[in-house]
Amino acid sequence: MPKTLLALAVLAASGLAHAEMATYSIDPTHTFVTFEAKHFNTSTLRGRFDRKEGEVLLDRAARTGKAEITIDTGSIDTGVPPLDSHLKGKDFFNAAEAPVVKFVGDKIVFNGNKITAVAGSLTMLGKTLPVTLNARNFNCYTSPLLKREVCGGDFETTIARSQWGMNYGLNVGLPDNIHLLIQIEAIKQ
Amino acid sequence: MGHRSRVAAFGAAGVFMAGLACAEPVTYTLDPVHTRVHWETRHFGTSTQRGRFDRVEGSVRLDRGAGRGDVSISIDTGSVSSGVPALDRVLRGKDFLASDAHPQAYFVASQWRFDGESLRELRGEFSWRGVSQPLSLHALRFACRIDAALQREVCGGDFEAELRRSDFGSTFGLPFVGDTVRLLIAVEGVRQ
Repeated sequence: MPKTLLALAVLAASGLAHAEMATYSIDPTHTFVTFEAKHFNTSTLRGRFDRKEGEVLLDRAARTGKAEITIDTGSIDTGVPPLDSHLKGKDFFNAAEAPVVKFVGDKIVFNGNKITAVAGSLTMLGKTLPVTLNARNFNCYTSPLLKREVCGGDFETTIARSQWGMNYGLNVGLPDNIHLLIQIEAIKQ
Repeated sequence: MGHRSRVAAFGAAGVFMAGLACAEPVTYTLDPVHTRVHWETRHFGTSTQRGRFDRVEGSVRLDRGAGRGDVSISIDTGSVSSGVPALDRVLRGKDFLASDAHPQAYFVASQWRFDGESLRELRGEFSWRGVSQPLSLHALRFACRIDAALQREVCGGDFEAELRRSDFGSTFGLPFVGDTVRLLIAVEGVRQ
């Protein structure tokens, strides 16, 4: 009997030391990808994607993890319906043939307990290229509503859309560089 | 260039110069397609929650030469759009936007600060939930162009401002839903 207790204690201790990989599911009400594009160098046009899903595996003690997020290109929402239709069409996201954009982050960079960057790849219009998201405001808290741990923060990057073959309007002055602002909160499962 | 066309060109240049010198106030009507107010606030000290107002109207009267003018903008608070319909309903309620009692929020301003040709700041008053407070919009960029599609001058830019919602009587959810609200204002006006 003492042997069993000892074995349990050793197991528990090793569990703490190794700190397991925990799974977090993305909370769609606090997770958004917003893009920013300059309109003829005057004002900034912003839009967001309303449907997305994803999962984050995080081992906060070992400072490793993996993130996967899928965005439904047909859910693009700028607040201007004719613009949304154009953005969903062949000139831009081609939502009929390329219904999702996917980001897989397989290298999570920590500074102390905080995530500072996520490096991975972005698949859009059938093309996969490396992208690194810089992180701000990473934090974990216990949600009083869900009674569970929620981790999240703000992530951002700038991509050149032409690298994925999205070239429409470049010749008339629509910008190539698109700033992405990514809000993520994910609930521990 | 013949003699007559040279005279005409000179005449046109003269009128153009006179236009610049006299610099009368010009009225611009906000283009609803390229005018948006976005807000940002922190959620549980973690991520930044964003939303926008889809119906924003207004006009700007500006004498660029003299650096004078006035701005009047109204925001339909019921047009809030966060991407989460259930949240939009909460936001329209009395704890936040109080859209039933105060369907519009207003910004009026007449204090422009230019640095040479560049607009830096626009100071005025913001009225929301029946409370009026001074608000300063910081200009990130401001430019004018001749719009190819409209064949008219379009002026616009990006502005940002910060307010504390508690100053306007919205205290629900503090401190978990942030007090500081950052406003991002993208605006384009078409010359009338």
